Amino acid sequence: MASAELRIIRRRIKSVKSTMKITRAMELIAASQIAKAQDRVSKSIPYVQQLRNVIRNVAAASGSSDHILLADDRAGDVGVMVITSDRGLAGAYNTNVIRAAERYIERLDDRPRLYVVGKKAQGYFRYRGYEIQRAFLGMTDRPVYGDARQIANIVLDDYARENVRSLLVYYTEFKSALTQDVAQFTLMPVEPPASDETAETATTAAAYSYEPSPEVILGRLLPRYVEASVFGALLNASASEHAARRRAMKAATENAEDLTKILTRTANQARQAEITTEISEIVGGAEALSGR
Amino acid sequence: MATPFNVDIVSPEATLWSGEATFVIARTIEGEIGIYAQHEPLLAALATGAVEVQEVGGGRTVYGIHGGFLQVFQNQVTLLTDRAELVEGDAEAARDKAAELKKLEDEAETEEGPSDDGVTAQVTESSDGT
Repeated sequence: MASAELRIIRRRIKSVKSTMKITRAMELIAASQIAKAQDRVSKSIPYVQQLRNVIRNVAAASGSSDHILLADDRAGDVGVMVITSDRGLAGAYNTNVIRAAERYIERLDDRPRLYVVGKKAQGYFRYRGYEIQRAFLGMTDRPVYGDARQIANIVLDDYARENVRSLLVYYTEFKSALTQDVAQFTLMPVEPPASDETAETATTAAAYSYEPSPEVILGRLLPRYVEASVFGALLNASASEHAARRRAMKAATENAEDLTKILTRTANQARQAEITTEISEIVGGAEALSGR
Repeated sequence: MATPFNVDIVSPEATLWSGEATFVIARTIEGEIGIYAQHEPLLAALATGAVEVQEVGGGRTVYGIHGGFLQVFQNQVTLLTDRAELVEGDAEAARDKAAELKKLEDEAETEEGPSDDGVTAQVTESSDGT
């Protein structure tokens, strides 16, 4: 009969092994998601690039920095958006981006308007007594353009009503499957894309004909650009989330493996100790009998 | 003869179509335009409607799109649209498709609150005011 100690160890081995099955499954799922998410990130790049291109041209032609999305002297609060995930088990992924945003918020004189994406940021900021302007949930796993549009509509609306004068977005940039860094950018007011090209583009920009007019086109372009920027951030965050989760689950699986090994050794020792005790009991008993 | 030029139809989620064409028809907010090679540089805001691309081989691709932008620059035509759908059949079917897209969107917006066009209009208006 197994001793109490041995039974307890065996039970632990069983539980560690079943946890390991779960973490391994999550690792594999996350790994398969990374590729898809990464693909979505790269597919979304041409649109944003072209939009930026067009904005650069139009802004040059209309010379209109008087569009409200370009104005940087507006009334209202500072807005901060934090993009996290809905689910945990992704290592330091959520903590990193939340910390970065909070450090920024602490430096501000006034409390900013807080827009959060993902349950994790919502939970964190709510627990610490921050007032959350708006929370967007259930979209970080696989964001679609409609999600970005929904977010953009709301922040554009707040911006137009002069509730916010600027909006800084914190998200996690997906650099590679191994590197994801917390990044931030100013969503509104829109910073006119830097005309990094030479004077050649400036002259060609003037040669465009516009239908209907540069101002009208710009007015339609900028909201789209905000949407596309939000979408890009969501996609990056989603890819980063899957990458972070894969890494965390891989580490968890490896830990479980190590733990199983150690526990098995302890179990073996306990078993051997038990056998030794039994033998010495028998031998002792036999000797006591023969010695008589 | 019709000279070919490059056409890209790009949506936020993917590049939908990319290739060489000889003629493109699109609907801007001011009316339909057709584009041949060597068109002057143009930037236009697109309305909900059909975009027809006549390919080099004689094939035809029709998309129903819901708003967007069209840029022509040095024989490169780029269409940027937030929503587009490939249509089987003629321009008429594409227009129906586009109308359908628009309807879908309107319905979605009444549920979600602030209308997209409303915000856009608001942002545009206030900029005109300043």
